[in-house]
Amino acid sequence: MLNEYWPILLFLIIAAGMGAALVVIGSVLGPKRPDDEKLSAYECGFEAFEDARMKFDVRYYLVAILFIIFDLEIAFLFPWAVVLEQIGWTGFWAMMVFLGLLVVGFIYEWKKGALEW
Amino acid sequence: MDMQTLQTLLWTLAKIFIIIIPITLTVAYYTYAERKVIGYMQSRIGPNRVGPWGLLQPFADVFKLLFKEIILPANANKFLFYLAPVLTLGPALAAWAVVPFSDWLILADINASLLYVLALTSMGVYGIIVAGWASNSKYAFLGALRSAAQIISYEIAMGFALVCVLIAAGDISLKGIVEAQQGGVFDWFWLPLLPMFMVYFISGVAETNRAPFDVAEGESEIVAGFHVEYAGAAFAVFFLAEYANMILISALTALLFAGGWLSPFENVPVLGGTLLATHGIGWFLAKTVFFMFFFLWFRATFPRYRYDQIMRLGWKVLIPITIVWVVVAAVLVLTGAIVRGS
Amino acid sequence: MTAVTRYLRSLMLVELFRGLSVTWRHMVAPKFTLNYPEEKTPKSNRFRGLHALRRYPNGEERCIACKLCEAVCPALAITIDSEQRDDGTRRTTRYDIDLFKCIYCGFCEESCPVDSIVETDFHEYHFENRGENIVSKQQLLALGDRFETSIAAARRQDAAYR
Repeated sequence: MLNEYWPILLFLIIAAGMGAALVVIGSVLGPKRPDDEKLSAYECGFEAFEDARMKFDVRYYLVAILFIIFDLEIAFLFPWAVVLEQIGWTGFWAMMVFLGLLVVGFIYEWKKGALEW
Repeated sequence: MDMQTLQTLLWTLAKIFIIIIPITLTVAYYTYAERKVIGYMQSRIGPNRVGPWGLLQPFADVFKLLFKEIILPANANKFLFYLAPVLTLGPALAAWAVVPFSDWLILADINASLLYVLALTSMGVYGIIVAGWASNSKYAFLGALRSAAQIISYEIAMGFALVCVLIAAGDISLKGIVEAQQGGVFDWFWLPLLPMFMVYFISGVAETNRAPFDVAEGESEIVAGFHVEYAGAAFAVFFLAEYANMILISALTALLFAGGWLSPFENVPVLGGTLLATHGIGWFLAKTVFFMFFFLWFRATFPRYRYDQIMRLGWKVLIPITIVWVVVAAVLVLTGAIVRGS
Repeated sequence: MTAVTRYLRSLMLVELFRGLSVTWRHMVAPKFTLNYPEEKTPKSNRFRGLHALRRYPNGEERCIACKLCEAVCPALAITIDSEQRDDGTRRTTRYDIDLFKCIYCGFCEESCPVDSIVETDFHEYHFENRGENIVSKQQLLALGDRFETSIAAARRQDAAYR
């Protein structure tokens, strides 16, 4: 079964190579005339105010953390879903305990306002 | 390396190109179809000048983009700037390695293909963040963050919907999921899992940053979001990746909820004996095109969601619905209401 | 409508399907787009395009330098100089129309007592060099000769309604 993964590796390499090839062809065919105005960052016609490396809202970080938690939950749900018939009602209730804990966490973050934008 | 390995390698390479080249052509003509279809929905005709009926328009667009200058913004991180398009295109194309076009037309018949696809769609976020950061522009950076936050929020709803499909199918390979839907139109998963079908498709639209969820790259909002500083071939690669993702979501919807390569006329009285009843790649392609049309239809119809509305929909509406449905689907399967593999 | 009905309707995405049906109907409706320049919209006989100076059937130019057109032009686009010709008739030595100033209103055409200055139905022209926007008497007379058949035909067809 592991043998089946070689085409995937090859595909990944070729897909990345295709992207790189397109950019290379573009760099070769396109003109290269750097100019101060052209290189400045786009800010709707104004001069760019400060450096773009600015502070950003912590909400983005929160969303990323929450995503990790739920994504891992999904990763645990995947094998459970596949063997659900074999593990029957016992397996169902075991997973319900797990889901229940995570739902409690979800309700907590909802109430605390982490999902407010 | 002996002859046998070399032969397998060359044959695999040939198969890869047999997949990649039609996909690239499909992406190019999908852009043409978008302009035509949206034009017709707006009481006008789309491009019709470049070649008969405008059919050579995608080639004109590609040539234009290739000959444009790729402007590297001042103080941009050069390596990351050039890496980002490649990072975005790689996962978009690589997911096609496990898509079963029919019951034997698969490049890599692994037994965990759905997990692989989910992993690759999650990888797509990296390219966006890297592009926004490397551009050294506030618009690009904020657009990238918002876009990335939107994608990962809808990734969760999508993941739970996939769990429901797995509960109903009992197999984590895409081929197995399609085979579990045998038995006619009403045995395909769109009917027993109707809410999950809608949630999955809506999440798919949100994941690809398409209207009405395109606030992160809507022209009137943040200009072009994370790829505002990209021009020429690098922009073409982002474009290619976005449309390849759309086609991938359509193909996955066709596989997971609409029976993949199975014909709807299987046990139907009159048409059941005709050619229309044969399963095969034709039905898979027809269903994928059907869902691709919905992407365009949604873009022409719905006004754009505001960003906080998008996040609210993803977290407060879709995730509770999907969690409830995971429980419901599990109960249905355990009580025998949905019989697996039928 | 009760809260329950409203909730169920939003769950069933009813309004979304209504919106989709609107765009579907638009998509399948016949389009009225013209494939310009192969297909064009019909033009009236009274269409006001590029100007021309007409002649009588015997070849004599119609214009008698009365300068009514110069006086009535709201954009002051017409410039006229006149002198007595060798055979004693009153004729213009200079008749310029600045096509950038002109607003194509047709007042000059209406005011002309001898039907000399007219506006043809020709509108698909362009300039390539600076200064081409000022058309002189020679050019206007040449345009008149070029378009005389269509000018005469348009006026003949319209005469019944004037």
